[in-house]
Amino acid sequence: MKLGVSFVTAAMMLAGSAAFAAEKTLDIGVSDALTGGAAVYGLPQANAVKMAADEINAKGGIKVGEDSYKLNVIAYDDQANPTEATNAVRKLIDRDGVKFILGFCCSGATGAVASFIANEDAVMLVGNAAERSITTREIPNLVRTRPPADYTGAAAGTFVAQKGHKKVAVLGALDVGFYASYVDAFEKELNKAGGEIITRESFGLKDRDMTPQLTKIRELNPDAILVVGYVEPAAFIYRQATELGIDVPRYGFTSGSEEQFLRVATSEQMEGVWDLRPTELTLLSASENGKAYHANYTAKYGIAPSPSSPYAYDQTYALKHALEAAGTVEDTAAVAAALRELPVPEEVVMQYLPVGGKMFDVNGQAYTSNGAFQWQGGNWVFVQDLPSDAEAYSKFLSTID
Amino acid sequence: MIEILQQIVNGLAIGGVYVLIALGLTTVFGILGIAHFAHGSVSMFGGYLTFFLVASLGFPLLLAILVALLIGLVLGVLIEWLAYRPVRNASHINAFIVALGLTMMVEGLNLEFFGHEQVVIPTNLSRIFDIGGVTIPELRLYVIMAAALLIVAMTLFVEKTKTGQAIRAVAENRDAAILMGVNVKTIPMIVFSISTALGVCAGVMVGSLFAIAPGIGQWLVVKGFAVLILGGLGSIPGAIVGGLVLGVTEALAAGFISSAYKDVIAFVVMIAVLLLRPQGLMGKS
Amino acid sequence: MTFSAKHLVYGAALIGFALLPQLITVKYYLHLSVLALVWVIAAQGQNLIQGYTGYVSIVQAGFMGIGAYSTTLLGLHYNLPVWLTILLAPVVSALFALCTGYPSLRVKGHYFAIVTLAFNLVIFIVLMNYSELTGGEAGITGIPKPGSKGGWLNFANREVYYYFVLIIAVLMTSLAGLIVRSRIGQALLAIRQNETLVGAIGIAAWKYKLFAFVAAAMYAGLAGALYAHYQSFINPDVFGLAQSLDAILAVIIGGSGTILGPVIGAFVVVFLPEYLRFADSFRLILYGLVLVLATIFMPRGIAGVTSDLWTRLTRRAA
Repeated sequence: MKLGVSFVTAAMMLAGSAAFAAEKTLDIGVSDALTGGAAVYGLPQANAVKMAADEINAKGGIKVGEDSYKLNVIAYDDQANPTEATNAVRKLIDRDGVKFILGFCCSGATGAVASFIANEDAVMLVGNAAERSITTREIPNLVRTRPPADYTGAAAGTFVAQKGHKKVAVLGALDVGFYASYVDAFEKELNKAGGEIITRESFGLKDRDMTPQLTKIRELNPDAILVVGYVEPAAFIYRQATELGIDVPRYGFTSGSEEQFLRVATSEQMEGVWDLRPTELTLLSASENGKAYHANYTAKYGIAPSPSSPYAYDQTYALKHALEAAGTVEDTAAVAAALRELPVPEEVVMQYLPVGGKMFDVNGQAYTSNGAFQWQGGNWVFVQDLPSDAEAYSKFLSTID
Repeated sequence: MIEILQQIVNGLAIGGVYVLIALGLTTVFGILGIAHFAHGSVSMFGGYLTFFLVASLGFPLLLAILVALLIGLVLGVLIEWLAYRPVRNASHINAFIVALGLTMMVEGLNLEFFGHEQVVIPTNLSRIFDIGGVTIPELRLYVIMAAALLIVAMTLFVEKTKTGQAIRAVAENRDAAILMGVNVKTIPMIVFSISTALGVCAGVMVGSLFAIAPGIGQWLVVKGFAVLILGGLGSIPGAIVGGLVLGVTEALAAGFISSAYKDVIAFVVMIAVLLLRPQGLMGKS
Repeated sequence: MTFSAKHLVYGAALIGFALLPQLITVKYYLHLSVLALVWVIAAQGQNLIQGYTGYVSIVQAGFMGIGAYSTTLLGLHYNLPVWLTILLAPVVSALFALCTGYPSLRVKGHYFAIVTLAFNLVIFIVLMNYSELTGGEAGITGIPKPGSKGGWLNFANREVYYYFVLIIAVLMTSLAGLIVRSRIGQALLAIRQNETLVGAIGIAAWKYKLFAFVAAAMYAGLAGALYAHYQSFINPDVFGLAQSLDAILAVIIGGSGTILGPVIGAFVVVFLPEYLRFADSFRLILYGLVLVLATIFMPRGIAGVTSDLWTRLTRRAA
């Protein structure tokens, strides 16, 4: 069956039970990094989609017109590599006949797929990939649950400027586009308040010894440091900064869980560190949905979910409601249009800021609130919302081509 | 001045790790003429295993290292016996491909056994020393000292013991060594044992001071080969000098020139050395 | 293999490739075939330096990257037509190869392999960090297809692009065959067998080695350009060390020092991981195991083994 919808008549399977509406299966695809360095982000996303699909199935599936569909998740590993991601999505569309593709943790692989998805009879839902250009081209059949990094960076810059810091030293994975754009937006807001970035130091994905960069920063006597990068190296920066005796406030954009940081640094070394990021999942700040998500995920997979994994969970529910609203599983244009008309579903975990009452704006971009989290006594504690303006940013995003 | 000293101290730890990796690579290369590309992944296996024994089974650290060393040894000898020996007389390209295949297998095993999350071997060493303005954490100091100790032990072994002299003899001239009565059959096994032991130690150092994660092994082995080029393929003093030079160069490059291009700078230094002295810093012309 | 039998194989292969798109029902495999053909070109280049000259170069993907970014950036900034930038791409990669080959070919064996590996890493780091030019990790998207809009050939159609790459792959394979049979090819083979001897009889070996290295880079540059216009998206991840190793594997598995070897090897490298997917997380282990076993038991590659078999069969028949 290469149609994507395999018809399993409930009557045949449950002989005798009076099931009038045909129960069908809808294949949905996941392309994500299931192995390799980026699996830290990709694997939890794939797990989150599967968990959401199981929940939806347990509650009777997706109701489209007279029929109800059970979801079947087909997940392929793209290793966060553009060629592999293209292959994975090609296979989902061409061979498996899948029309709805979720996942997408990483910007390079996502950019490759986004470059051709507009020509396909499919809908693409992007998760954790934060590169801005993914939603600047207004691709009609693409939406993204995670806000672009510079949306958060601007809010972070305002926050740090309000704290009165003038000289900020940056240490980040600046070869990664969205981290650099976070810093650019941060700098713009900082400059407005009369502050400046005094140095931009870089590190690679495999680097775990950042003492050379930190030593240089120590000599420059900054008022504060800003650390942007993946959690694994970032945790080492916080530890090595205290080891080198740097005792200025530390701000960051890393989105790591408590567990991930404590593997590397002690709670004392982390004390007082700020994380300025979208209000993703954390134990203490989580909403009711967030707590349930955390508990269910941990029970199902035996490990705590990564903070960014709900982006994929929320994709699945957004897709469910869009399918039901569009009343079709065949017409992808209608489903894509329904996604852009969708109010924020009640099952989602992240705290989305609707634009014009809708979850996704005209660019297909969703916005969460941004928060300032601080490490206090072994936990990330939500301190306050960051000043973020989803409506304004959405307008700005539409002006970029 | 303090900044330069601090940067040199910064570079010593990773430099020490480079030396240990390079020593393993250079002895294998000297004896067998094989670019043992899987060395980094095998080293990380040792580190992972130590982590597993300490964190999951509650072994004391030193005992865990000992067990990891023994199991690592078995793995190293098996690799020599099953994979490298059959291609001993084939062209070096084939041996290289076998090494690549092995790298994938060991990386795959690591992933299968230990997962994709980075691990750090817990040590509970958190004191920090301040020596005339240069700060150095306790753990980092021990890592540097342990590396120095292993390097000295390795040098003494090669210089002073019978087996060590036999290894050097085979490395310099295989045929002459056979004539002199060296048992060339057992030498590869011994060399692989030593090489893997040093690698496992390096894995433990990386795993406790930094972290082990997928891909770190390959990254280290590339650095190890750069050290070999710097110091001279097959040369033991070359591996020591080359490793320290690379580690300190990286730290100074990151601190004073550009952190984004520190690896590029390190490679440019390597290529420059190669052009001026094609046999490496310590190699014989 | 006899002369005529060889031609029979070439003819059959050509017909097979020409008919392939008609035989493939699932378009996904057509997509993989286009990628495999791109790899055929890259592997033919790799074969010149690795298979014929005996120097393992680990920078083929890096040169592909230079080709891919050249064609893209030349088109983007100077508004040149696509066919022209595709032709310029190998020229740019050749320039880089000249500059890097001259110093690195002074050393042999493993030294050379590791120096070229370092070049690949340097190319990768620069592509990642020089983001004003290359767009960094986010890459460049919307790279145009060849041909004008509304022209008689629609290159956005995968079948059309398949034939486009097929023609170039056939041309480049024939060119490799010509090079190998020429005087230059003889010199390269002699270098592989005994470089000292070649020097001793008064042949400037370095010129021939440099030629092979630059030619390999041009093949890579062309392959990279074709890749860029096919995928319409490039970023540094595609041109890293792992891909250079794939080029080496393609040559070894197919049969190094043969003309058909890289063709077979390129398809194996692209399709094998696909068929190992059933193994799920054990894929990497299995892939490595296949490599090790193939190298130990089949050191002359698939082309070598088949040709041995063929000789044995025909001998028995005679």
